[in-house]
Amino acid sequence: MRLTIRLQEGILLFLVLGITVSGWAGEPMDQIKQTTDAILSIVSDPALKVSSKAEERRRRIRNAVDQRFDWEEMAQRALARHWAQRTGEEKKEFVHLFGDLLERTYMDKIEGYSGEKVQYEGDTLEGDYAVVRVKIITKKNVDIPVEYRLQKKGDNWLVYDVSIEGVSLVNNYRTQFNSIIVGSSYADLVKRLKAKAAEK
Amino acid sequence: MKRLDLELTVGLFIIAGIICLGYLSIKLGKMEVVGGKGYEIYAIFSNIGGLRTGSSIEIAGVDVGRVKSITLDNYQAHVVLDLPWSVKIQEDAIALVKTKGLIGEKYIEITPGGSEKIIQPGGRIRETQPAVDLEGLISKFAFGKI
Repeated sequence: MRLTIRLQEGILLFLVLGITVSGWAGEPMDQIKQTTDAILSIVSDPALKVSSKAEERRRRIRNAVDQRFDWEEMAQRALARHWAQRTGEEKKEFVHLFGDLLERTYMDKIEGYSGEKVQYEGDTLEGDYAVVRVKIITKKNVDIPVEYRLQKKGDNWLVYDVSIEGVSLVNNYRTQFNSIIVGSSYADLVKRLKAKAAEK
Repeated sequence: MKRLDLELTVGLFIIAGIICLGYLSIKLGKMEVVGGKGYEIYAIFSNIGGLRTGSSIEIAGVDVGRVKSITLDNYQAHVVLDLPWSVKIQEDAIALVKTKGLIGEKYIEITPGGSEKIIQPGGRIRETQPAVDLEGLISKFAFGKI
């Protein structure tokens, strides 16, 4: 009797472990997939396409993106060695401005979604870091390789860099920010970011 | 006696010449005789597009080191970088394969990061950006795919 209970416990334990292990292997990719699906469902929702709902649509897309993107880590990496010289207040402001800059740059592209396909190519895990490879197939059948770089924070995998066609987003902004700060000053960079945010 | 002196001088000159030649070839060939004066770290690229051993490593356009070796590891390029002790590379630095001009030689550029963690000798630059395949890009967007 006792033996059968042990056996059952054993099997149960094995099953639970087996499931967690198999679920673990593709965790970063699953999370990217979740976010992508969530955004695609917002974008292709006909009820939100009316112009009166444009604001809400934007907000919901931003919320979905916020859950997966680590803006602070991205801003820190983009500002690189100038980050350490900033005060807590400045850092906060910069993270906010940086998030807005990316929203401004990419929101139109997300909103202009028209049935491009997303194909998941696989992921590579290495400790607390992971890379998820995705291919976006446009309507003209051109495929664009996209790589998400993620870092594990708590239970979540958060994106800290995106490479499109092998070109890193963080590196793009890092070189631009660096040349502005070295050429003039940090205050000038903030001024430019604010001006850009006020454009629309 | 005099003849011996002459031969000795010629011999000395030839030896001096050989030493000079050896020095020149080591200098110009950028070889190292007794170990490097720095440390090594490595990076993995999906494509290095013709980077070679001995190619330069630049930070802010300044030549700081050399590519020590390139090997194929799991169908990716494993590149060992030789850097002087004075140059510290942060954990979130990005290594890129770039081209001098439009069709010039390939080199590695490192954009320094802001992390407090420094990559130790033998460590790895995690963030890399492969060589941009210009022809591939042009053909992709000019002609599309079937």
